[in-house]
Amino acid sequence: MSLVTASGLVKRYGSYTALNGVDFEISGGITGLLGANGAGKTTVLGMIIGLHRADDGALRVLGQDPWSAGAAVRERLGYSPEHHTLPPDVKASDFVRHIAELHGMPKEEANTRSSDALWLVGLGEERFRPMGTMSTGQRQRVKLAQAIAHDPQLILLDEPTDGLDPVQRDAMLELIKNVSTEFGIDVILSSHLLDEVEAICDGVVIIGEGVTLASGALDELRGTGATAVVMDIDGGDPEVEAVRAALANRGMVVSVLGRRLTVEGDDEAVFDVARDACVDAGVGISRLSRRRLSLEDVFLERLG
Amino acid sequence: MTDIPVPGAPQPEEAQIYDRGYRTFEGERTGVPGAIRTLVVHSMRTALGLGRSAKHKVVPVLIILIAYIPAIIFIGLAALLPGEELEETLIPSFPEFYSGTIVAIYLFAGFVAPSLLCTDRRTGMLGVYLSSPLDRVTYLLGKAIAVFIVLLLVIFGPPLLLLIALTLEGSGPDSLGAWIETFGKIFLGSIVMGTFFAAIGLAVAAATDRIVVATATVLAIIPASAIAVGLLVDENDLSPSLRLLSLPTLPRELIFRIHGESDGPWSITANPTWTLWAGWGAWMIVAIGFIWFSYRRLLVRR
Repeated sequence: MSLVTASGLVKRYGSYTALNGVDFEISGGITGLLGANGAGKTTVLGMIIGLHRADDGALRVLGQDPWSAGAAVRERLGYSPEHHTLPPDVKASDFVRHIAELHGMPKEEANTRSSDALWLVGLGEERFRPMGTMSTGQRQRVKLAQAIAHDPQLILLDEPTDGLDPVQRDAMLELIKNVSTEFGIDVILSSHLLDEVEAICDGVVIIGEGVTLASGALDELRGTGATAVVMDIDGGDPEVEAVRAALANRGMVVSVLGRRLTVEGDDEAVFDVARDACVDAGVGISRLSRRRLSLEDVFLERLG
Repeated sequence: MTDIPVPGAPQPEEAQIYDRGYRTFEGERTGVPGAIRTLVVHSMRTALGLGRSAKHKVVPVLIILIAYIPAIIFIGLAALLPGEELEETLIPSFPEFYSGTIVAIYLFAGFVAPSLLCTDRRTGMLGVYLSSPLDRVTYLLGKAIAVFIVLLLVIFGPPLLLLIALTLEGSGPDSLGAWIETFGKIFLGSIVMGTFFAAIGLAVAAATDRIVVATATVLAIIPASAIAVGLLVDENDLSPSLRLLSLPTLPRELIFRIHGESDGPWSITANPTWTLWAGWGAWMIVAIGFIWFSYRRLLVRR
């Protein structure tokens, strides 16, 4: 089932067109919302939450129009903002409880769940501390806790690793992954960091200059445009050279990097040629697969 | 989290929670009314500094003290003075009583609304609120209710305390009917004044993100409007209807009229009571309209 579906989405602010016909479909799991600054990510998130009304096109979130059915949709959404300016004198537990109550949790339930959510993000011992005394990493965790405390179906995380050091960043990404895989909450992760999206996301929506550059499952996107076969072979330089020569004799375009040979072309025949070349050279193969594009490759390719 | 007893498990004093887990919620959610309710409670706690460090309690506690001191003094006088005549001379009527608490009311109007509205916009919390079932209207409604209730602490609380104390002391209204009538007038007057200053405070707070600017503006325009109206009407003999522009005296004069007393701050009858209600209504419409206009066009990023 699609969690979010956008078709022909247009949003204008005066004479400025922020979105100019955006189309995408977001299913379960973790989806990365990617784009450079000013690409329109912010506007898309705002429209999913129901803050902005589309000038044209259609948007469905959890099966409903987020503008007309705003409260019903937002009740099942969690949102972690980008900014770090949470009320500094409020205790983390009070803040998370308050947000849970806002999303419809009865008082006692909100109380219990806020405590649980803070434990789950690793702030169990710190939950009674005012947020102003917390580190950036801890505040990011509080924001995640308040997003999940009310058992949402979908959470929107806006730059959740902003301001974190590499260790904290990896831990946060692991937490987000757990939210999806263990708690069963679907995630939309807005980020401009390709590697973190690549590390944990199942799908991706790339937005640039107000239009959709790419969207779909990450594996499919990285497979798209794979125009070569990669082969790692057993052995040293003589074996590598022997295979390269055998491939060249068969008319293939080959590049070599260490023990890895990249053979241009992606149809099934290339696999057969590569296998036969190795047999002729008497060399074993440890890996034979299509070349996988990185998300960065996809991003740059779509940006043109 | 619930500990489930397991046969053969360690005794309770040895038990440890080692997996809190994540639970789904199958119950009924409280919806928009619940969201407004929690916003009101949270905002009131914020305004009063509850659940926060001591420095956040200083201003509200001081203002509340200022508001209640006159009532406590009058209660003491009523208890100590021997004769009814002396009591009647020294103890003010309920509308007059506001002369002693009006400073606290202005101060609260100046501090509460800005602290509740400006902070949310400045810190981005408004975006968090609007990602909940609240929308702009219900958010503003919750904030307005919170400001109004907090203002009632200094508008309704002191005269109510005085009424109860005078009643217990034997100097209150003569009969149950008179008591209920007096209570009703105090309550109605408090609603009039509370909604008026809440609307003014919120309108000013809707115009800026800066608490200090909003507070200073509220505290400045209240006396400034009275001074300007005084100059125009009393010194330059312009229309008495201009008195309706005086922020501090319009609601006080209305309270005098509610209590059926004619010696209010204007001390004249040139303004019929209906014009005062119309003036109050016009101020409310202008203030609410401005708040809505400000928030409707406010671009909430995230």
